[in-house]
Amino acid sequence: MALFAVLQTTFLLALLPLRTYQSEVLSEPLPLTPESLNVSINSTKQCLHLQWTVHNPDYHQEFKMVFQIQISRFKASNVIWLENYSTTVKRNQVLHWSWESELPLECAIHFVRMRTMVDDARIPAPRLWSNWSSWEKADAQNSLGDHPLYVFPKDKLVEEGSNVTVCYISRNHQDNISCYLEDVLIYGRQLDQNVWAFEFKNVSFIRKTGTNFYCKGQGDPEGVVLLVSKVLEEPKNFSCETQDLKTLTCTWDPGNDTGLIQLPSYTLFESFSGKKTLCKHRNRCDWQVTQDSQEMYNFTLVAENYFRKRSVSILFNLIHGVHPMAPYSLFPKSVSATNATVTWKVYSIGSSSALLCQLQLLGEGKVIQQHNISVRVNGEYLLSELKPDTEYMARVRCAYADHFWKWSELISQNFTTAEAAPSEAPDVWRDVTFVSGHPTVTLFWKPLSKVHANGKILFYNVVVENLDEPSSLKVLSVPAPANSTKVTLNQSSYQICVTAHNSVGPSPASTVAISGHPGNENVEEGRMNGTEDGFPMSWKPQSRNATGYVVEWCDSPQHLPCVLRWKNLGPTNTDTVISSGAFRPGVRYNFRIYEISTKRMAHLLEKKAGYLKELAPSYNPKVNMSNLTSHSFTLSWKDYPTESQTGFIQGYYVYLKSKTGEKCHRGFEKTFLTDNSVCCKYTIDNPDQKTFVVKDLQPESAYEFLVTPYTSAGEGPLDDFRKVTTPDEYSHILIHIILPMVFFVFVIMIICYLKSQWLKDKCYPDIPDPYKSSVLSLIKFKENPHITIMNVNDCVPDAIEVVNKPEGSKMQFVGTRKSPTETKGTKPAYLDLLPTEKNYSGPGPCICFENFTYNQAASDLGYCGHFPVTPQAPHCQLGPLTSPENLLKTLEQSYMNSLGEIPAGEANLNYVSQLASPMSGDRESPPTNPPEPALCSEYKMQMAIPLGLASPARSENSSLSSTALLDPREHCH
Amino acid sequence: MRAQRMQRTLLSLVLRLLLLCTVATGKCSGKYHELLLQLQRQADLMQDPSTLLDPYIRLQGLHSPVLQEHCRERPGDFPSEDALWRLSRQDFLQTLNTTLGLILRMLSALQQDLPEAAHQQAEMNVRGFGNNIHCMAQLLRGSSDPKAAEPTQPGPGPTPLPPTPPSSTFQRKLRNCGFLRGYHRFMRTAGQVLRGWGERQGRSRRHSPCRALKRGARRTRPFPEIRRLAPRGQPPR
Repeated sequence: MALFAVLQTTFLLALLPLRTYQSEVLSEPLPLTPESLNVSINSTKQCLHLQWTVHNPDYHQEFKMVFQIQISRFKASNVIWLENYSTTVKRNQVLHWSWESELPLECAIHFVRMRTMVDDARIPAPRLWSNWSSWEKADAQNSLGDHPLYVFPKDKLVEEGSNVTVCYISRNHQDNISCYLEDVLIYGRQLDQNVWAFEFKNVSFIRKTGTNFYCKGQGDPEGVVLLVSKVLEEPKNFSCETQDLKTLTCTWDPGNDTGLIQLPSYTLFESFSGKKTLCKHRNRCDWQVTQDSQEMYNFTLVAENYFRKRSVSILFNLIHGVHPMAPYSLFPKSVSATNATVTWKVYSIGSSSALLCQLQLLGEGKVIQQHNISVRVNGEYLLSELKPDTEYMARVRCAYADHFWKWSELISQNFTTAEAAPSEAPDVWRDVTFVSGHPTVTLFWKPLSKVHANGKILFYNVVVENLDEPSSLKVLSVPAPANSTKVTLNQSSYQICVTAHNSVGPSPASTVAISGHPGNENVEEGRMNGTEDGFPMSWKPQSRNATGYVVEWCDSPQHLPCVLRWKNLGPTNTDTVISSGAFRPGVRYNFRIYEISTKRMAHLLEKKAGYLKELAPSYNPKVNMSNLTSHSFTLSWKDYPTESQTGFIQGYYVYLKSKTGEKCHRGFEKTFLTDNSVCCKYTIDNPDQKTFVVKDLQPESAYEFLVTPYTSAGEGPLDDFRKVTTPDEYSHILIHIILPMVFFVFVIMIICYLKSQWLKDKCYPDIPDPYKSSVLSLIKFKENPHITIMNVNDCVPDAIEVVNKPEGSKMQFVGTRKSPTETKGTKPAYLDLLPTEKNYSGPGPCICFENFTYNQAASDLGYCGHFPVTPQAPHCQLGPLTSPENLLKTLEQSYMNSLGEIPAGEANLNYVSQLASPMSGDRESPPTNPPEPALCSEYKMQMAIPLGLASPARSENSSLSSTALLDPREHCH
Repeated sequence: MRAQRMQRTLLSLVLRLLLLCTVATGKCSGKYHELLLQLQRQADLMQDPSTLLDPYIRLQGLHSPVLQEHCRERPGDFPSEDALWRLSRQDFLQTLNTTLGLILRMLSALQQDLPEAAHQQAEMNVRGFGNNIHCMAQLLRGSSDPKAAEPTQPGPGPTPLPPTPPSSTFQRKLRNCGFLRGYHRFMRTAGQVLRGWGERQGRSRRHSPCRALKRGARRTRPFPEIRRLAPRGQPPR
């Protein structure tokens, strides 16, 4: 313990001189207070800029110090920022420090103070803070005017995604301020009595002209524009190259635009030479290669804007980045049918550098030849193995031969080789038809392919040689592009040669031989089935000396005329597959196989027919129904062509539907149709049978029937059933009876019509036969055998007076139906039937007839018409004659008066027969008071009297109103 | 809408061609009525806000109702309608010419703030209009128009000056918006005044049978007749 006390004392004694030494170098450390603290405002950057000095005459060397800075807002006690700022301080040095405020400085008063502390190792502890400086006030509002509303910060440039604080100062506390960000009303935070702040986080780019923020009180709106920039991207795909070893061109992808009017700048810096250049374009920059043979370059591209700086570097070897310019003046020369020479030029690179050029020959878009040629200035190459009359394209590109890096751009040139004579004979076939025994040959040939034509075919030469007459030679020239011609021959054998010609010469000849007589056409037709690949077929050779075979067919047999097609086959072929893009399912194709002899003569070997694919019939035959009876009918469809159907017709189905749903008849089978209706089906498996009798039907029953063909692919459409109703069993008998009867009645009616006059005369004559009069029966009833009737036929009249104008009322019922007024004053007309004496005036015997046989008015009404009564007879009175009895009495009286002894009878018959006048003198009892003079007989037609014309009153001479004066000599008595 | 734009474009093209023709030949048309009609059509075209104001509003984002309300013409930017009507013809043309110069300067300042196509078209329209105004003024001077020689009425106010650029971008946007609105209003008024010239001429002709007789001769001999008729009290109105 004592030892420890001794050591401690020794240590302190040792330190004492050291402390003394220090005091000599650095005196006792005193706190250094910052002086001349000045605070300024940078509104653009929203920065407070502090400036101060530290004055200490004791120290002459640099030493480290720490400055503690406090920043308050609105009031000194409201400290919002505290930061220690360390730096090395010289004597009397002016110090600077800046602080960026997130709140625009115009919106708040800021206070700043600081204190210091020496923080140097040479200064002994303790290290104490100095006293605080006094608060320095930073008030940007002083510079504002007297506008009632301010919004800050003005024209703030921010990067997309950053945070921004906007504030406004309202001088009018009563004002109601509304603030909008791009038309959206937003609410802020009140910082002071008249200051409000709005914080926007992660702002986004809206438009190049900035995002509008504005506030509006009672006056004009006040606002700011936030210029939001997109984040500057790092350049991509930065690379450099040279075309001539003189100028380097560096390119890059700048990425998305920052969206500001102020574009970022791009600077190219080369580290080996230490040079840099400001690029004029945002994606490209040119660099001049120096003449000091610098081969390696280390480029750094720097993209910079207000917020960021981006850079990208490459190490570039000049020789390895040569991208030559495209060659030029590429021309073909000396172009023949199979060769061509092409020439071109290149831009030289350096003085002794060569270029490797690649020459490509393209035909139909494909590269068919490719050659590499080393070129210094002029390139040339001979292209061979070309095809005549063919268009080619030659193209060239070049690369730096010393170090291949990249091909230049291509240049190209088209050229066409010259023509040559066709290299192959045309493929010829013929179609022979015999007209009046003479063969007419239609020659067909296929156009030569481009490969064989070797140019444009101009015409075809056809040479027809009569083999029977070798001197006979006929030459036809058919201009292209015709592919057929027709030749009429006689019954000889011919050889026909066809050649194709272009501008250079003819092709080899193609030969066919024609016999003057038709060959064997009676070859049975076989059937075959098509496949997806076409029609496979085979045949049996007939002779061993065949030079080949030809199969011919029509591509579209359903359309006329036939488009003839053929296929040539070698002599060893006995089968082939015929395929064509024109083949369609459901079409029947007919093939004919010919054998070609050594003399180029064609003989028909086989005929074949087939479908590429059989289809169900597309339509049904038109069925004719006949022989309809009550139990059967016959169907026939003889017009249905089986050859032109969509498949081989194998037979027919006869469908029969009965409405009564009776069972299927014998031979029919029950089946269901697509509409689930039941039907009876009969199968005709013979395609040639085109009639069918449907039997065992019910009389007076309705049936529906349908006939549809079927092929291997199915049957025809089941949608056209026809209806038929069987007749009644006895209807035919009735028809056999009724028809003749109707005919007979019709004949009778015609006869009656034709003989109507005769019938009338026979059945109801106009002038009744007195002998048949009922009056006669009355007379007979009185049994007076002495009473006879005068026969008028016994009279021989010598004159007939026809009274057509009866006088006065006496004429109203006589001869005509004219009214009395019409007849009044007219004189009677006379017709002399026999010669009369004109001066005859004496009275003579005369018979006057008046036929009052029937008086309709009297009959109906009991009215008395005109009666042949004597003048003395009492006039017909209405009263007594209105009854049948009165009429009868009147009749009786009249006739009794006139005839004396006419018995009364048939009282209800108002019929008065014509009577001989009692004045005839041959009467036994002449009537009392006969009419006077009653020298002639009077005849009047019996007639129906219209009611209106019946006159109840008569004059005394009415009985003389109509008279037929007979010649006395002809008077009957 | 598309059809209207097409018509407008075609009309603009025609007017431009007319302008180019005039400029290329270096001569003014001596046909008063043609020139007047051309001026009227140009004024009609330029008064259409869709040619300049609407593109500006769209590009600057000033389409909100609050901002539209304050996109107003400021007094003094352009002569008022009353002032234009009071001016003599020569003074009217002089005022138009002066104002068009102001507009051209403003358009140049607004180059970055307008769609490029709209800016180019507007600038060409203004230049063409100014050229025709020059020709009309020349025509009127040559005709010794008594009306043109009338003592100048009190001017339309202070000579228009380019508006002072406001301190902030936002205020500048509103200010430019108001200026463009005033521009269209001014062109509309100018068009009305020009139409008034034609109507007055028509009326005066209708009421003068004597002039009706001379109309045929005027049609056949365009410019000299205007001169000859003018001393008789027939200035083209």
